[in-house]
Amino acid sequence: MNTSQTSIRDILYEPPGVKTKRMIQVFTVLSFIAVMLLIYVAVRQFYITGQLDARYWYFFAKPTTWIFLGEGLAGTLEAAVVAGFISFGLAFLMMLGRINNIRAFQAIARALIEFTRGVPTLLLVYFFFLVVPQYGITLAPLWRISLPVAISASGIVAEVLRSGINAVPNGQREAAMSLGMKESHTFLKVVFPQAFRYVIPSLIAELVIVVKDTTFAYVVNFPDLMQNAKVLISNYNAMLPVYLVVAVIYIIINYLLNKASVYAASRTDSTTNTAAS
Amino acid sequence: MDHKADVIIELKQVNKFFGEHHVLKDINLSVKKGEVVVIIGPSGSGKSTLCRTINRLETIDGGEILIDGEEMPSEGKKLAEMRAKVGMVFQSFNLLAHRTILDNVTLAPIDVLHKPKKEAQAEAMQLLKRVGVDSQAAKVPAQLSGGQQQRVAIARALAMHPEVILFDEPTSALDPEMINEVLDVMTSLAKDGMTMLVVTHEMNFARRVANRVIFMEDGAILEENTPEAFFANPKTERAKAFLETVTVH
Repeated sequence: MNTSQTSIRDILYEPPGVKTKRMIQVFTVLSFIAVMLLIYVAVRQFYITGQLDARYWYFFAKPTTWIFLGEGLAGTLEAAVVAGFISFGLAFLMMLGRINNIRAFQAIARALIEFTRGVPTLLLVYFFFLVVPQYGITLAPLWRISLPVAISASGIVAEVLRSGINAVPNGQREAAMSLGMKESHTFLKVVFPQAFRYVIPSLIAELVIVVKDTTFAYVVNFPDLMQNAKVLISNYNAMLPVYLVVAVIYIIINYLLNKASVYAASRTDSTTNTAAS
Repeated sequence: MDHKADVIIELKQVNKFFGEHHVLKDINLSVKKGEVVVIIGPSGSGKSTLCRTINRLETIDGGEILIDGEEMPSEGKKLAEMRAKVGMVFQSFNLLAHRTILDNVTLAPIDVLHKPKKEAQAEAMQLLKRVGVDSQAAKVPAQLSGGQQQRVAIARALAMHPEVILFDEPTSALDPEMINEVLDVMTSLAKDGMTMLVVTHEMNFARRVANRVIFMEDGAILEENTPEAFFANPKTERAKAFLETVTVH
């Protein structure tokens, strides 16, 4: 057992006794067998239906396939990063409205947050794709995907930021104000930087959702990973292999993002764990 | 009390309520330049609240608070400007958790007084040296002991060259062995002529350093006297009872 680190498990549960240890071993073996069985069944089924046939896989040996998928990946990352930044900007404004003393701003921010959280991303994508052009506004494909994805995430990000603001001990604000700092400077230089550190892990988690939402790019013909996958599928008539590979790529991106959030969480912990409370 | 120019803090008929609860009752108080005034009293007597109303971290429901003869406004730029004249040291230090010790001390001089960074840092290092924590300048607050953090907080207040410093139970959150290092810094400040208003439970500090002791209970000032007279001969029964409970140990 690892004594240098206390996990949530250690806090919530008693250390296992002799009987429990036995049970844990039994269930570990059983679940391992179950997973192996599932994989076997899946692979066997692929084999029977001919999905493992070389004609469905040979094109993965061609560099052009990977270059094409790489371009798609670049598109996905571009859309996700742009959407992430826009979303953060919108969320920051909504959060300011929400923590403002002015009732009207509060009400507007609250309504916007509820709206952006409640509307499905796909609906917003269609809005920017089908409705906005009706007003004579033509957006580049990148914006057609980034804007709706950003708006869709902004409400949740706003609430995440607000929870971070609430988590900053009031004494930090008081200390800055008692030194003669203006309210706005106190917020920007003292409160927000700390709030931001608290919520970095949640923001990264939200970024994972943004990455997944960019798959709606196929609706607006923006060449993201999913869109390029579709092109490959129609060229080679190989749906399952392509989707499998693409799924693995998405899993890797989001796994890395999650790793980053865990790392960020551990870092912020060590510098603020005794934050003057 | 006369209204001479050397009065720095003046409270006139200050009242405050927390809902139904009347926490400050007709408080009249003035602190002159160079004076060390210590406020003592049982927990919940309103002494911390009184301290916090002076730089308006708490609002008041009646009366007036004058700093240097000027009324403390309720908001805005002017309030910030006047707060800069009144230093504050908190029970829980409230050092900015994400900044280094040096940054904690230079933040306000740079932000509020618009001092050049170099100059602010040089002065901050001097102040940190004065309170004996200059060797910790590059660390973050969480790496320092409570006593060290509180001394940094004092240096931070001094960096603004305040006319008066309010101490809100500065040693109550400290381990016993660290109390004296903070009280020593405060004593030397008092000797250098700093005007101080100190809310504390440290009776020895009050006895040795205060020019005047104020005894509060239930949101009202019950006694106001020199430390010698107050500790030797408290006038009210409540002050007597309070002194018995705190001086037994």
